[in-house]
Amino acid sequence: MTSLGQVVLAIEKYRRFVLDETRKARTNEEFGQQILQRWQEAKAGIGTTLTPTGLRLPRLALPDLDEAGEIARFLCEEGLPGEFPFVTAAYPEQYLEPAPTSSTDNENRRNGDKTVVEEPTRLFAGLGLAEDTNARFHYLSRNQRSKRLSTAFDGPTLYGVGAGAGGVFGKIGEGGVAIDTVEDMERLYAGFALDQPNVSVSMTISGPAPILLAMFLAAAKHRFGPDVGAKLRGTIQADVLKEVQAQNELIFPIEPSLRFLADMVDYSCREMPRWYPISISGYHIAEAGATPVQQAAYTLSNGFAYVDYFRNRGLDVNVFGPRLSFFLDCGLDVEYIALARVCRKIWAIGMREVFGGGNRAQILRLHTQTSGRSLIAADWRNNLTRTALELMLACMNATNSCHSNSADEPFTTPSEEYARYAAHAQAILLEESGLFKHMMNTLPGSPGMKVVGNAVEEAILEEFREIEQQGGVIGAVARRYQRSQIQASGHRLESQIYDGVRPVIGLNRYCDQGRDWPEVRMIRTPKEKKQLQQDRLQDFEKRHAGESERCLNRLSDVVESGGNVFEELTHTVEHCSLGQITERLCEVVGKFRPMV
Amino acid sequence: MLPIRILTAVPICDGHDSAINTINLEFIRHGVEVIYLGFHRSAKDIVRAAIQEDVVAIGLSTYNGGHIEFFGEVIDLLEQRCPAPPIKLFGGGGGTITQEDAQIMYGHGVDRIFFAGTPLDEMTKYLRSAYGAIAQSPYDSEFAGSDQFLSRQLTLADDGSGLSPQASETAWAGDKPVRGTRVIGLTGPGGAGKTTLIDELVLRFLRSHAEDQRVAILSHDPSIVGSGALLGDRATMIYSQHDRVFMRSVGTRGMAGGLSLSTDRCLKILAESNLFEFILLETVGTGQEAIPFGIDKLVVDLSVLVMPPDYGSRLQLQKIAMIDVADVIVVNKADLQGARTAVAEIESRIRTNRKGQRLLHTQANRHRDSGVDQLFELLFTDPETNTNTGTGTNTGTPQ
Repeated sequence: MTSLGQVVLAIEKYRRFVLDETRKARTNEEFGQQILQRWQEAKAGIGTTLTPTGLRLPRLALPDLDEAGEIARFLCEEGLPGEFPFVTAAYPEQYLEPAPTSSTDNENRRNGDKTVVEEPTRLFAGLGLAEDTNARFHYLSRNQRSKRLSTAFDGPTLYGVGAGAGGVFGKIGEGGVAIDTVEDMERLYAGFALDQPNVSVSMTISGPAPILLAMFLAAAKHRFGPDVGAKLRGTIQADVLKEVQAQNELIFPIEPSLRFLADMVDYSCREMPRWYPISISGYHIAEAGATPVQQAAYTLSNGFAYVDYFRNRGLDVNVFGPRLSFFLDCGLDVEYIALARVCRKIWAIGMREVFGGGNRAQILRLHTQTSGRSLIAADWRNNLTRTALELMLACMNATNSCHSNSADEPFTTPSEEYARYAAHAQAILLEESGLFKHMMNTLPGSPGMKVVGNAVEEAILEEFREIEQQGGVIGAVARRYQRSQIQASGHRLESQIYDGVRPVIGLNRYCDQGRDWPEVRMIRTPKEKKQLQQDRLQDFEKRHAGESERCLNRLSDVVESGGNVFEELTHTVEHCSLGQITERLCEVVGKFRPMV
Repeated sequence: MLPIRILTAVPICDGHDSAINTINLEFIRHGVEVIYLGFHRSAKDIVRAAIQEDVVAIGLSTYNGGHIEFFGEVIDLLEQRCPAPPIKLFGGGGGTITQEDAQIMYGHGVDRIFFAGTPLDEMTKYLRSAYGAIAQSPYDSEFAGSDQFLSRQLTLADDGSGLSPQASETAWAGDKPVRGTRVIGLTGPGGAGKTTLIDELVLRFLRSHAEDQRVAILSHDPSIVGSGALLGDRATMIYSQHDRVFMRSVGTRGMAGGLSLSTDRCLKILAESNLFEFILLETVGTGQEAIPFGIDKLVVDLSVLVMPPDYGSRLQLQKIAMIDVADVIVVNKADLQGARTAVAEIESRIRTNRKGQRLLHTQANRHRDSGVDQLFELLFTDPETNTNTGTGTNTGTPQ
């Protein structure tokens, strides 16, 4: 049995445990009294808040229970925010405005490793060359207390191909930023105090992730000194399994990809303790057509596969466990009412029961993005409404950070105008509206949310059992199981839209606007900039020609001898470009054979 | 009449294959033969494949920008090859291709851009009306020796009607010495890893043989008479996207046994072209009864049976006819459970056969796999110098 099979057993056992505790609270008087007492204490510890209209509310809403059995069920099944199994939220007062009393310090300490109260807003940006994206970052974060930068890379960078390679000229700086060298990386985050706790950086890249993170570290050292690693905050996606299953941006075969990843995780846990070296991602799985259940099941099972792999490498689950983060899509299907809640529960139980993870390793830290696939070109301003609804669902699921899509995304890299609307949508929801800022649990706990949650949980377990049958995650990947399921779901979704079974307003229903095209200005990278990127790369490679071959040879040696490849990359990037490094690594470990 | 034959792909540095997968299925459902090249493909790879497959049109699905340049590059490369009739280029990219972009692309010679929200049946209708009646006649002799000359010959041979003996003769590349092209047949059940194995063998060929030496691959995928087919072997190939490789995908069009009605004619054309040192003939995934190359090896010089370790019980193994006929038997995916059992069972079976068959185990999905190295030695070196007649297996047991 693989660890995934053990997770299934652990969840089943936990369900029995909930029933047993409920029964015990009803039949064993002493235990029942303990439960009632705990409930009274929990309620007594809840502070209050005053709304702008003068209404006093508790900072946490709890169900109105007075029977020990139901209380026991609630505490075991959902738990309080920030407590096992973390169904309602990862942290106790996640979205709340700080309490205006001296208890603020206490509350923040209870937030675990969240020492700064941050807005969940984290907007994805990337266009043109490094300096263009840098300017966009400054624009987007100008009003934020915390600077949370999220970076999209262009196609050549995602595939580890240099800007000078044949046939990629048109792709330079399109759909993301072009990064070829450590010098580009310095330009990308110029002007941001990366060594300060209120700045964090996210990089959405998987195939060449270790090379890019090595560049980021090297660039930060140039600016902030050799010890800056310990201060750097952020996340790099580095999810190679979902690349195989859905997104197709993998460079090396699975085995060496996992090894390079483990090297990076090992290093960053030691030297960059505030960094999240992987973001286990369902977003691209969902965007490729997966159902919400498939998204959750494949993402969680990939997560457990990584934990298993890192553990077998000798890494400590309580060291790397708290440094894992998750990334999910949020669309309009009803499952999204409870999807992230179920994910947090399954993760917590699996990490505790199967892998022996402590409290911090049990928490599923979640970044959510609203569904890009749900946005359409026809009557495109409706996309504002779609995104707003998805954002609401994501916050009801207590996501820890969120990206809301721009309405013009079906056409182009978001324009500044629509990127602003997208950011403001979050501020309207979390700051302007009273839904989330006064009280935790304002919306969770409805009968519908529970019913959907239970159905989703069972469906996820059913997927786990199927994957287990195929020899676990890696075995199922080799058999193209997840891929084929995702593709079949994607095809079904398209058919449903074309047949009109699935209403899409403006596309197959109420199409009174016809094929309306936006007035948005297309964001394209001009030829001169593409040329500049090529020239810069050429110049870098020329300046380092004396060193690069020696560095690449040393890198090859480390790969062959089984050393830590990431550690070596932090030196390699000083003299070698992304394209040079990728090419060399492919020679040593081979190329990923595409699955179709 | 032959089905419409098109090639689809996603451009370089782009992995968005969700749309093209759906569109491929739709095309196939409407009787189109789709050669799918996969994602992250360069313009050069796309044009080479289009020429070799002799398609009437190329469809590109692009989602992360740079489409004006990329489509332009494909058009330029196509024009350099002067295919007759010209290969049409169409494509789409959701909302990423604007009306203005499309006008520029039409100016470059792109045939048709499908915008966001185009119903799938509108695309298939367009395909039928625009590409359904394109006549492909033989190239003039000035093209002799080129890939497009050869691929047109294969098209006409596939049609079963158009192959004239003269056309085949003019393919002879002038006064070069006649090469002793060796034909290697690879067969085995679906999922055994034949395509991956071929690609790895090609990599070794490219590295070990002179720059002017080429290899051809004739790859079969199942199809039904009068309907479409997805010919997808190219999509998983890495090293065979190379000018020194000529690859042609063939639908079986209802013929059972692993090959197509036109296979013999195509092989003859490829061999007589005098362009290749080796021809690798890949069958469709075969059943237990299949003996695709004939019992007396009429079709190939060497036959290879590629087996996955999980063929079932020993009894199932006894039923596989090809085990008695193949020159070489390869147990691929030697990392999977059951590989040791498979090697032991097949070894004892061929020992009883006493035909000097060879047994190797490979792990083709592993970089620099030594089993594949040995298979390459066995298949690609001169039979005169490779006179091991005894039954042998490669050393060691599967890991």
